[in-house]
Amino acid sequence: MTSTSNYADRILIAVIGDEDSITGLLLAGIGHINSHQKKNFLVVDSKTQTSTIEAAFNEFTERKDIAILLINQHIAERIRLTVEKYQDAFPTVLEIPSKDHPYDPSKDSILKRVQRMYGD
Amino acid sequence: MEALFFNVDSGFLEAIVRGYRAGLLTTGQYHNLTQCDTLEDFRMQLSQTDYGNFLANEPTPITTSTIHAKATQVLVDQFNYLRSNAVEPLSTFLEYMTYAYMIDNVILLITGTLHERDTHELLERCHPLGVFDTMPALCVATNVEELYHSVLVETPLAPYFRDCLSASDLDDLNIELIRNTLYKAYLEDFHKFCSTLPDPTPEVMHQILAFEADRRTLNITINSFHSSLTKDQRARLFPSIGRLFPEGNNALARADDLEGVKNACEYIAQYRAFFDTAASQSNGNAPGMEDTDAALTRLENAFFAHEVHLNKLSFLQQFQYGVFYSFVKLKEQEIRSLTWIAECIAQEAKDRVGDFVSIW
Amino acid sequence: MSGAGAREAVFPTRMNLNIMQGRLKAATTGHSLLSRKRDALTTRFRGILRKVDEAKRKMGRVMQLASFSLAEVTYAAGGDIAYLVQEQAKTATFKVKAKQENVSGVMLPAFDAVREGSTDFNLTGLGRGGQQIQKAREVYAKALETLVELASLQTAFTILDEVIRTTNRRVNAIEHVIMPKLDNTIKYILSELDEMDREEFFRLKKVQGKKKRDAEAAELVKQQLAAERADIPEEDTETEEEHALDLLAEKDADVIF
Repeated sequence: MTSTSNYADRILIAVIGDEDSITGLLLAGIGHINSHQKKNFLVVDSKTQTSTIEAAFNEFTERKDIAILLINQHIAERIRLTVEKYQDAFPTVLEIPSKDHPYDPSKDSILKRVQRMYGD
Repeated sequence: MEALFFNVDSGFLEAIVRGYRAGLLTTGQYHNLTQCDTLEDFRMQLSQTDYGNFLANEPTPITTSTIHAKATQVLVDQFNYLRSNAVEPLSTFLEYMTYAYMIDNVILLITGTLHERDTHELLERCHPLGVFDTMPALCVATNVEELYHSVLVETPLAPYFRDCLSASDLDDLNIELIRNTLYKAYLEDFHKFCSTLPDPTPEVMHQILAFEADRRTLNITINSFHSSLTKDQRARLFPSIGRLFPEGNNALARADDLEGVKNACEYIAQYRAFFDTAASQSNGNAPGMEDTDAALTRLENAFFAHEVHLNKLSFLQQFQYGVFYSFVKLKEQEIRSLTWIAECIAQEAKDRVGDFVSIW
Repeated sequence: MSGAGAREAVFPTRMNLNIMQGRLKAATTGHSLLSRKRDALTTRFRGILRKVDEAKRKMGRVMQLASFSLAEVTYAAGGDIAYLVQEQAKTATFKVKAKQENVSGVMLPAFDAVREGSTDFNLTGLGRGGQQIQKAREVYAKALETLVELASLQTAFTILDEVIRTTNRRVNAIEHVIMPKLDNTIKYILSELDEMDREEFFRLKKVQGKKKRDAEAAELVKQQLAAERADIPEEDTETEEEHALDLLAEKDADVIF
């Protein structure tokens, strides 16, 4: 409802994920480095600070050229509060499973809301 | 005569390496591993093998990448033990073996430096077998020109670089070309070096290297279909050794599709067999793209199987250095198989768990 | 009357009554329209919910397949291709295009996956594992298409959710605040008007009564005079009559005022 006006400019898919997920998605061709040398992906490993993830999350959600933000579920888990607070339609935040962490529907922010609705 | 003095210098190490080789996982152990339901079970099973408790200190949940890294570490330790006990010319021989990994590392560093990445992160990612003392020095370079010169000065790979590349070649686009050019030069050089060694080392090594070269040639050919690689460029990447050289290579350089590749390999019975099995197995499947894909996967597996076979053969000969090379290759294959099984367990893809190459 | 609930601050006049009745009618129409919209949206929403749920689970499987293909790459290529892939990424060849879809007056965006032919990685794994890498690319591209589809659903979900909430709020506001308030106001005006009616009626009645008695008294006086003139009848009646006249006179002053 909020910022549908500039939806047409949003063409990129951004990712925050572990190395394997990123590699696969980059192979598929979503990688983009813009004129300011800003990447649209962030590789997270066990050493990555939570604050870094959060900063990247905020950066990606504020960028105007990103339509979809993919984030590994176990990483979303680390910044769950920020993810839950984020309710805008654009860019869409999508939690995806990773290789080592199979998908758990009960943790998904959106699915949680779905469950709540059904519970109503 | 050679056999008489071989043991003076290398007898001990050969014994060690044969001991290591005896510690490779057996079919029974593989079978046990494939039966595991979780990676925890997998770890338990592994602790009963020669790997011992190499994973004991890892925190749970354990990941496949940890298993891979740890297993590689085991190999690296074993190799370093061999290397530190080796005397000439075995030490040079072992040195040569590390060049392959060095090529990968140097390529990695070049890519990283071109993109101004963090040096420490880069060094961490390098393959431990390909580490050389002056490696960090490469990261000092800030531009391509500098990088090229520092590679020339600092690395053991200098001759390969000098012979096939100029500074202007070092850019992003053809990093893969550089890698393959270097690899070709390396294989040829290794081949030459082996010829200088006393019999029967060359005999064994030439066979293995020839296959390695042919495999690369075939792979490059197949992989370069539908890519921006021109046929000229392709031909230049083919190593000038191997059983396909020179007629096969020429035919492959002109090949446009899988059929052409097959024809080029026609006159070497063994290679023809790869294509035959690949083709016959895929006949029952759905036609079209899927078909070629499956055939190629099987081809790749056939290559692996043949490599293992050749490496196993080299253990049948005594008093030669081939065993060292073969051991490392076999161990690598074992690590790949382990990772594969672990991956299948982690991702619950039990139907594919058998697609590895057992060594015994 | 004032304790019966909130009402508009208006004077209880007939004009205001008309206005209020008009407003109540408009509110009722609005309410039924909005609740119909809400029902339509909710139906759609339920559909999307189910689809989101399904798609999310499907994604689990698809992504598993994809990461498995990556495992095949690791097996075949042996080395670590991750870093090279990261470094070689430059321009996106897999993009999305947004379009809009109209559901009961709500614009729902939908994403379409757009793939451009790419040559970015087709030399990766030239020496070994290239086939697997190409295959993994395809698998991941397919997985991404599922993800993009899911993203559209999810965006629709978020937006619909918001719209439904707003609509719900409006429906509830009309139902529970505006309509009772208008009702109260109308009731108030009506009762005030009734009260005024009753007072008026009573006043008129009184005036009429007084006039009647005046007339009767006048008649009586006339008759008495006529009787006196004829002969003097009974004394008693006269005093009584005089008393009554007095009473009337007293009241008269009250009523007239």
